[in-house]
Amino acid sequence: MIKFSEEKLNKVKEVMARYPEGKQKSALIPVLHMAQDEFGGWLDTPVMDYVAELLNILPIEVYEVATFYTMFNMKPVGKHLLEVCRTGPCMVNGCDDIIDHIKQKLGISEGETTPDGLFTLKPAECLGACGYAPMMQLGKTYREHLTKEKVDKLIDELRAQAKN
Amino acid sequence: MSKQYYVESKPAAGGVISGNGMKADAKVAYVDDKPYEVKEGETILSLIRRHFGKGAVPTLCDAPNLEPFGSCRVCSVDVALSKGGPVKTMASCHTPVIPGSFIYPESDRVQKLRKNIIELVLTDHPLDCLTCEVNNNCELQEVAARVGIRDVRYPEGKTHLDKKKDLSHAYMTSDFSKCINCFRCVRACDEVQGQFVLSMGGRGFDSHIIKGMEVNFKDSDCVSCGACAQACPTSAISDIFESKSIQVDEKVRTVCTYCGVGCNLEVAVKGGKIKSIQAPYEAETNQGHTCLKGRFAFAFYNHKDRLRTPLIKKNGEFVEATWEEAYDHIATKLTEIKNKYGGDAIAGISSSRGTNEENYLMQKFIRAVMGTNNIDCCARVCHSPTAIGMQRSFGTGAATNSIKDIKLTDCILVIGANPTDGHPVTGAKLKQFAISGKTSIVIDPRRTELAKYATYHLQLRPGTNMAIMNMMLYYIISEGLEDKNFIEKRTEGYEEFKQEILGQNIDELEAICGVDKNLVREAAIAYAKAPNAMEFHGLGVTEHSQGTHTIMMISSLAMITGNVGRPGVGVNPLRGQNNVQGSADMGCQPYQGAGYFEVSDPVYHKKYEEFYNAKLPNYNGLKIPQMYEAALNDKLKAMWVIGEDMAQTDPNTHHVVNALSKLELFVVQELFMTETAKLATVILPASSFLEKSGTFTNGERRIQRVNAVVAPIEGTKSDGQVMVDIMNRMGYKQPELYDPEWVLEEISQIVPFFEGVKWDELGGDGKQWPVNKEGKGTDILHTETFKRGKGKFIHNNYKKSKELVENEKQYPYIITTNRELEHYNCGAMTRRTNNVLIVTDDVLMINPVDAAKHQIVDGDMVCVESPRGKVDVKAKITDEVKPGILSSTFHFPEVMMNNITSSVSDSEAMCPEYKVVACNIRKSKGEYKKPKATV
Ligand code: SF4
Ligand code: SF4
Ligand code: SF4
Ligand code: FES
Repeated sequence: MIKFSEEKLNKVKEVMARYPEGKQKSALIPVLHMAQDEFGGWLDTPVMDYVAELLNILPIEVYEVATFYTMFNMKPVGKHLLEVCRTGPCMVNGCDDIIDHIKQKLGISEGETTPDGLFTLKPAECLGACGYAPMMQLGKTYREHLTKEKVDKLIDELRAQAKN
Repeated sequence: MSKQYYVESKPAAGGVISGNGMKADAKVAYVDDKPYEVKEGETILSLIRRHFGKGAVPTLCDAPNLEPFGSCRVCSVDVALSKGGPVKTMASCHTPVIPGSFIYPESDRVQKLRKNIIELVLTDHPLDCLTCEVNNNCELQEVAARVGIRDVRYPEGKTHLDKKKDLSHAYMTSDFSKCINCFRCVRACDEVQGQFVLSMGGRGFDSHIIKGMEVNFKDSDCVSCGACAQACPTSAISDIFESKSIQVDEKVRTVCTYCGVGCNLEVAVKGGKIKSIQAPYEAETNQGHTCLKGRFAFAFYNHKDRLRTPLIKKNGEFVEATWEEAYDHIATKLTEIKNKYGGDAIAGISSSRGTNEENYLMQKFIRAVMGTNNIDCCARVCHSPTAIGMQRSFGTGAATNSIKDIKLTDCILVIGANPTDGHPVTGAKLKQFAISGKTSIVIDPRRTELAKYATYHLQLRPGTNMAIMNMMLYYIISEGLEDKNFIEKRTEGYEEFKQEILGQNIDELEAICGVDKNLVREAAIAYAKAPNAMEFHGLGVTEHSQGTHTIMMISSLAMITGNVGRPGVGVNPLRGQNNVQGSADMGCQPYQGAGYFEVSDPVYHKKYEEFYNAKLPNYNGLKIPQMYEAALNDKLKAMWVIGEDMAQTDPNTHHVVNALSKLELFVVQELFMTETAKLATVILPASSFLEKSGTFTNGERRIQRVNAVVAPIEGTKSDGQVMVDIMNRMGYKQPELYDPEWVLEEISQIVPFFEGVKWDELGGDGKQWPVNKEGKGTDILHTETFKRGKGKFIHNNYKKSKELVENEKQYPYIITTNRELEHYNCGAMTRRTNNVLIVTDDVLMINPVDAAKHQIVDGDMVCVESPRGKVDVKAKITDEVKPGILSSTFHFPEVMMNNITSSVSDSEAMCPEYKVVACNIRKSKGEYKKPKATV
């Protein structure tokens, strides 16, 4: 059964209460974020249907929003999501090489997940950190001024972590 | 301006001066500096198109039956607020006209903009027009040509040719490589059908239409209404019949035969065969909408199972015969029986699916030639209580208002009807009403689709409508919400009625119907307080032992609140079959002839005798259930039935079959070898509605023209021709050739409310009766006075159904029958179309609580047993029904649901009580057998 914990559910109610009666749909994006966090890092259809039910809106109203924003994952993702920026400034500073390097190292292409379920590579548009290009977002943190070496180190660390 | 694309209508004669039909105070706007009259609230697009024609402004995202959207900007025009003032480019389709403004629909800048937009659209389109199904009938092609595209200056973005076509569904198809993201399909699904299947997913070049969460049509919630396909300007969404292809010889407008909404259809014919069906946007009944039955379920018409030659039963076997032989056989037999036993040994059942003309001829044949009033029609088993009840209260048994009034009302009250399945196009309008948040009250034992959106759902126990009605009236009176003025001026019998109502024991009624009295009170107050409230009801009211009583209470509810006689109010039966209204109007009932005159009234008896120049009996004939009794008692020897499958659809099947098997002559006119036809002694192969002309009268009294689309299937004859032939054969002279024109002419002489009806003058949308001498129809009844003078309050108490009183101890469950959107009644037609791929068999709805009690899981076969018999049916576990209540359809002969229904009928009209059957259930031992698909 897909269901938020009591605590999360209260949080949902709190977010919904920010908007006037009948406008619960406004809470959709924050609630989707919570759902993605809670239910395995991506939005499966039953999860979105559950969100629709919570907000008393139609399922299709959830689907159209969720598929529009790239920060919502429509397929299962690995434990670590590598979101590499590929907008102008990062591109000029060599993000393509970084992306290629990650692909080679992990043996996956864009949007794919490694067989061990550890990594997903996902190119992203501007993450607002152009001064530190090339960069990527890893979970809730930014990794900046990326080089191939930095990427290798990062991946090795994460692999090691997973083993312990 | 480089090129004039449009024919200019005459401009207004400068400023605000009258002339050219303009009122002196009319507001104007200037198009290319010349003044044109502006209508209140209209858009710039509508102003320009009204004066210059449709081609004056190109559009892409706009569609005739959808709200303006403003996404493509192809309709842009330049607008200035004063002459020579600053100019702004606006999308004309959703911008209201500002009176006094200056509009330039073809300025250079606008032309450039439009071209650029289309170029951008084309970067995202495959341009493989030559192999496209809508080539030459594509709005994108049209607009591209109109704005003068010669090349596309931008690099190709995406062709989307990698997108897979969706061919999963029985009817709907999609090929999203052809999609231009105009949103028309999404809006059609939302605004017209209210199904919310489609939307736009993704972004940028990847934006694409999604069905549900990226599922295919088959797995989506789509109800196959086809609105999106018709709305789509390209071939991106279409149907298996390629209804937007130009490969047709002609298109014929006719009327759907599947329900009382009476949708207009535009049938495309190619090489003498029906190719596809669309719906005309300008049709008053359906504005471009249909349900899947009207649009897609036509394949039955040339199905291999169609009967193509008359059959006479000899020694228990059907033997092929010519029409001559069949007619001879029938005529000889009928004469013999008539001479030996008298005309009353003969009876006819006409079809509410047939045309007015055919119904009229059938009753004429039975009355004038056979000399009996034993004529009835299937209205007996559905809406006869409506006719009788409303006649007693108001004087006329027909819908008081029009469907278009849904737009004008403030509150809808829907009782015992599941319009989104039974009357889908009206159902969609009611659903839109409820979704919009306006007050809607649903009274139904099932949580129907409409109930899910309603403000109030009174989920009563089956058979307790009268309890709820008494409660609602009680609250209206005790809260002082009655319309005293209306009651005093327009009604009679109120004081007595009021005392009866106030004497009701509300707590007892609450216990009977099982609905919280406070909820009933709130709903009653909402209905009474609404400035205009409109009532609708279906067979959930009529198919009960107290059907007629309930109708009279509903009529009282409308009168007590003054909701009769103006737009947006009234009592409106949702007519089941396409021509239930018409068959009653035409006199296919044993007590009233054409035009509803009592056959036993000496004045009218004489009138009919003179008109038909024949000797007629002056007493009532037999109603359908009485016919069966008479046959069992050897009083009835011959029966003639047009297109009704009583052996499957009438209650208590064993009883019916026994009765029919006893007949000496049993003539059945049919399309297919139905369960009833198998019992016939003579079968006459009939033509379907697509093969004949005539008129149908829909639920809002609208007499519409049915036009033959193709020639009759070889070997078949229209029911009208058969009637004419047999009358001639039996010495009652009629014109040789059946033609609706002369029949209608004759009808207009005897049926007062058809007085001004002429075949040639009916036009596309028909006319609503009464039609006066000058040919003017009527959209609202009882405006000044009631048909019977004053409206009459008639009270009755709730009475427990005999079925339950007698049987509820041993049979504690109540089963009620219902219908599915995809199938029509006995299913003889719809089961011979791809509809069977969508809904494959009958199901029994059962509440999870009851299911658990009997260890039944979804899909199990359940044995349902009533005092009359038992059937096995597949379980669907759902909380749409309350515990203790079951609900099932009866579309498939394999199940024979009517083996268990009772022949208890309405006390007044003898309409059978299909909706309340006492039964018991258990998990059945048998395996689930899939019915054989007939396609
Ligand atoms: S066919 Fe009707 S219900 Fe189905 S997607 Fe199209 S508009 Fe919606
Ligand atoms: S499928 Fe048709 S109607 Fe829908 S957005 Fe695409 S082109 Fe427009
Ligand atoms: S709503 Fe009724 S009349 Fe209209 S298409 Fe469907 S079945 Fe035919
Ligand atoms: S038709 Fe006006 S914006 Fe599309």
